[in-house]
Amino acid sequence: MKINKTDIHKIEDFLWEIPKAFRPKMRVPARILASEPLLDAIMDDRSLVQLVNVASLPGIKGASLVMPDVHEGYGFPIGGVAATLYPEGAISPGGIGYDINCGVRLLTSNQKIEEIKDKLEGLSKELYAQIPSGMGKGGQIKLSAQEMDEVLLKGAEWAVEKGYGVKEDLDFMESKGRLENADPSMVSDMAKKRGTDQLGTIGSGNHFVEVDYVEEIYEETIAEAYGLSKGQVVVLIHTGSRGLGHQVATDNIRRIMSAMPKYGIEVPDRELACVPFNSEEGQHYFKAMCAAANYAWCNREVISWEARTAWRNIFGPAIEPLKLMYDVAHNIAKVETHLVDGKQAQVIVHRKGATRAFGPGFEELPESYKLLGQPVIIPGSMGTCSYVLAGAARSNELTFGSCCHGAGRRLSRTAAKKQVNAPVLKENLKEKGIYVEAGSFKGLAEEAPIAYKDVNIVVETVIDSGIAKKVAKLKPVVVVKG
Amino acid sequence: MKIQYLPHTADIRMKIEGSTLEELFMAGVLGMGNILREGFCDKNGPFVLKSKIELMAQDETCLLIDFLSWVLSTSYSEKAIFCEVVIFELTRKKIRVEIHGKQQAQGFDEEIKAVTYHEADVHKNNNGDWETLIIFDI
Repeated sequence: MKINKTDIHKIEDFLWEIPKAFRPKMRVPARILASEPLLDAIMDDRSLVQLVNVASLPGIKGASLVMPDVHEGYGFPIGGVAATLYPEGAISPGGIGYDINCGVRLLTSNQKIEEIKDKLEGLSKELYAQIPSGMGKGGQIKLSAQEMDEVLLKGAEWAVEKGYGVKEDLDFMESKGRLENADPSMVSDMAKKRGTDQLGTIGSGNHFVEVDYVEEIYEETIAEAYGLSKGQVVVLIHTGSRGLGHQVATDNIRRIMSAMPKYGIEVPDRELACVPFNSEEGQHYFKAMCAAANYAWCNREVISWEARTAWRNIFGPAIEPLKLMYDVAHNIAKVETHLVDGKQAQVIVHRKGATRAFGPGFEELPESYKLLGQPVIIPGSMGTCSYVLAGAARSNELTFGSCCHGAGRRLSRTAAKKQVNAPVLKENLKEKGIYVEAGSFKGLAEEAPIAYKDVNIVVETVIDSGIAKKVAKLKPVVVVKG
Repeated sequence: MKIQYLPHTADIRMKIEGSTLEELFMAGVLGMGNILREGFCDKNGPFVLKSKIELMAQDETCLLIDFLSWVLSTSYSEKAIFCEVVIFELTRKKIRVEIHGKQQAQGFDEEIKAVTYHEADVHKNNNGDWETLIIFDI
């Protein structure tokens, strides 16, 4: 299947559509949130073919959607959103991804960048020492079988109960860091085994812990409510459910693929394997996915504890602890209420490389954020910048309350390695005042800024489309990678 | 057998070929082991850690992906890299094997999240060899 520019219709300046008539099996149109130059770039890989495939999912409503940071994935594109009608619409593990509840959180400090400039190099080394990547080695915590089930059930609450977290953090996490539908008995022994020693580890790939400072504030009132101010030092953490989540996805894609004939479902790509949400296999996956999501929230809370330890070790025991601003998932499925065909309806929203971005008034938000909209954290690449946005009401109208999740890859890992000399990159970043600690030069080259789209353009697109407001811009000073 | 790593925007695309189905499965294990730690399988023998598995699937493509997924899971649970395969039985829908590897105390270079079904299609090419692409989620 080839998609030409002439197949794509402009709806608004930042919204494009491939109509339902483009292919017989499409049940809804496919929509792309992008500026025209970004759309042209998106057409370079197979993202739009994958988007069209998603439009054929049973029970899909509204449109299959991609955000401006979209890139080719497997089955679903990364940066995709799809909502299916609850309870009989499809649930597809491929629409969530292998790294269940991969997400990002932002911690704030009460320090200004000028006060800590001379300690940044030491801080980078201390963070690297405290936060293991855990790739084939494991972290500091070893869970017993009972503790594992508690983590899967309670999520971030488990870390708080065991002294690895802060009670106040829970209010500042999407879903309070715990999905109620989690059922540890739906998680395989192999998945649990893989997760036994990975709490508190970041993994590799694009996962990181980063120290930034607030370079610019765009919305004073919202920034103040979020606890952000110009020059302030903050910490970004990006990781997910580690091997446990990967195994939950692998187990269930296999199970669901075998079950599809029973429900008469055929899909154009095996990675789109899906079953009705209310089927036995659908519920098995959903309950296991919720458990893996809880593991991820617990993981990010434990990593925050490690970051807080590093902070005390560098700045002394009297330093005010890092405070959680917000934690958002960007690989998850949730049952939410949205406007569908002119009526409020429950839908199963799949977000794969997309962030929830609910506007003002959303009940779950902490009191101090409720009238302003949900914080949306958009990491850029190391060496560029990241953003804090606030979800706006239009996201509910256009994108099932969703927004982009990052800059989006532009170059393949192979191409990045060919173009980037990692030791030179590390030195160049140091000259710019950015201290990098990475597990390998290979990993560093693969994640170089050149490998990513310009996060500024991606963010401008979501702002101009009205689905979010720009609150603050962050500049990195320390990057820790697996 | 032939193993090639091809460009992919975010993940790793590997093309494997073998003159027999057995060789194709062996190439898959070898190629994946060398992603987990560059060149590990080419120079770190003998591979004394052993694990047995019997799997069934709906066709040879699913069988290969499910098999490699199991090898990957075992790599993580055993903190080891597997490089060799002794095949006792292999049909289009069933495999019974023993994999051989070595524990890796230094950890891995690369974390493969999953072996995906995306683009996988085990078939015979124009030369009469078995081949497929495999996308690893990184």
